[in-house]
Amino acid sequence: MTTAAPVLNENPSRGRSTSLVVVLLLAPCVLLYAIFFVWPQIALLMLGFRAPDGSFTLDLYTKFLTDGYYLRLLWRTMVMGVATTAITILFGVPLAYLLARMRSRWALFLLVMTTFPLLVSAVVRSFGWMVLLYRNGFVSDLMQWLYLTDAPTQLMYTLPGTIIALAQVLLPIMVLSLYAVFRSISPDLELAAMSLGASPAVALWLVTMKLAKGGLFSGSLLVFSMAISSFATPSLVGGPRAAVMATSIHDLTMTVLDWNFAAVQATILLVTVLILAVIYGRLLNGSAAAR
Amino acid sequence: MTFRLLSPLGITFLTLATLAMIYLLAPIAVVVVSPLGDTGYLAFPPQGFTLRWYAAAFDDGRYLTAFFLSLRLAALTAIISSVLGICAAYAITRYKFPGARALESLFLSPLILPTLVMAVALTAYFSRSGMPTGTWRLVAAHSIVCIPYVIRIVLPLLQRFDRSLEEAALSLGATPIGSFFLVLVPVIRPALVSGAAMAFITSFDEVVLALFLSVPGQTTLPVMIYSSVQLGFEPLVAAVAGLLVCLTGIIMVLFHFFGLRTRG
Repeated sequence: MTTAAPVLNENPSRGRSTSLVVVLLLAPCVLLYAIFFVWPQIALLMLGFRAPDGSFTLDLYTKFLTDGYYLRLLWRTMVMGVATTAITILFGVPLAYLLARMRSRWALFLLVMTTFPLLVSAVVRSFGWMVLLYRNGFVSDLMQWLYLTDAPTQLMYTLPGTIIALAQVLLPIMVLSLYAVFRSISPDLELAAMSLGASPAVALWLVTMKLAKGGLFSGSLLVFSMAISSFATPSLVGGPRAAVMATSIHDLTMTVLDWNFAAVQATILLVTVLILAVIYGRLLNGSAAAR
Repeated sequence: MTFRLLSPLGITFLTLATLAMIYLLAPIAVVVVSPLGDTGYLAFPPQGFTLRWYAAAFDDGRYLTAFFLSLRLAALTAIISSVLGICAAYAITRYKFPGARALESLFLSPLILPTLVMAVALTAYFSRSGMPTGTWRLVAAHSIVCIPYVIRIVLPLLQRFDRSLEEAALSLGATPIGSFFLVLVPVIRPALVSGAAMAFITSFDEVVLALFLSVPGQTTLPVMIYSSVQLGFEPLVAAVAGLLVCLTGIIMVLFHFFGLRTRG
């Protein structure tokens, strides 16, 4: 076993034993991906174009894109994605900024507390929201106490309730993306702007937020694509009355057993997410090249 | 901080950040606190005080079985995805072969794929393929979700790794496998540990694939909680969920201290 030279062969003309090692190292992973990832995904894509008699058809796509019910489903999904992203920006920017600029020993503790919800299952967090949002629940009482409403409010099984819960589930992701960006921007730049006469708010807006724009945008893309494809929260908090694409896909697959139409909706969701991912990738490469 | 916290801007930021922290932690606190209430139904804020529901959660056989199933599933997933992920990452960084970049992209691609889409694909696929049923389906699916985490954490370390260390080990008489375990593994151990921990937690918490691919009679804990919650707010479910939160917290604290010690 002391003939170790081929394994560490530097030149690209590989020995037989080296290529054997590569094949052995990669084979388990490649096999697993081929059987349980690549092939099922291709089969899913084809499923959406297959008519009952096995021929090629675009009928299911036409059905989705012309039927009012499904268009409303698509619309609600997009509204949910945009509103969720907006809430995570509203809370994420101040929290990430303060965490990034804090110079106390509490900063690390608070950062850990921000990421802790990520480790708790989305089911458990949605459950907490169900208890809070239920009619006569805590949020309803709080809104009455603040004179925002007169009567008990039912936020459970509504789109706004889903958005409130989903934004909480995804907020840590926004905070983490922004935290990294704010850390990379020197506070000296703001000080420089202020020494030239800008007020703190103007310096923050013109310097830091301008520089953080890329991070804000990529964080938003991430949150948006996770929001439109997440299932547990819309299913538990929204339920059938605030159905979105994710819950519709689940019902079609598990209850109605119409896999062809489920495949169509899953493909539309997947293509949306992939387009966003490509933009995200471009953005990351662009900012890396600019530096 | 370039502005004072007591300026209007500072107060706005501080208020929003405080609200954000409350917002982030409120639903989790609710799950932990509300089963302590002494009412027969779930209420927040809780009224009265009892540990009855938490005690009942430990006694309930169904949840205990589901917990151990989730634990086994997560452990298996963590082991498989770590081993396969390390092998793949090692092969990609160490050997020059055509298509290495393409393979890397393929291995990382589940990161962008929604688990829901994967769940639909696998449900349709498994029902047609005639493969035997069992929890192994879920292990395979979870491994594909988790392998990208392991590869992404380990890959940069392997790329930076000084190969002359390995060559030194070999020239001193170590076998290739020996040098792998004696030189490389200690260097990448922190990344390996966090990759495996990430895989474990992801698999343990994951609900979509588990819901779609679960075998009747063998449901994981998140799926169990998901199904019970849909039927109604029992304090018992909240207690189970509360225990899960506490367990996650304890593990995180332990990991934090443990992680700090190995680094120091």
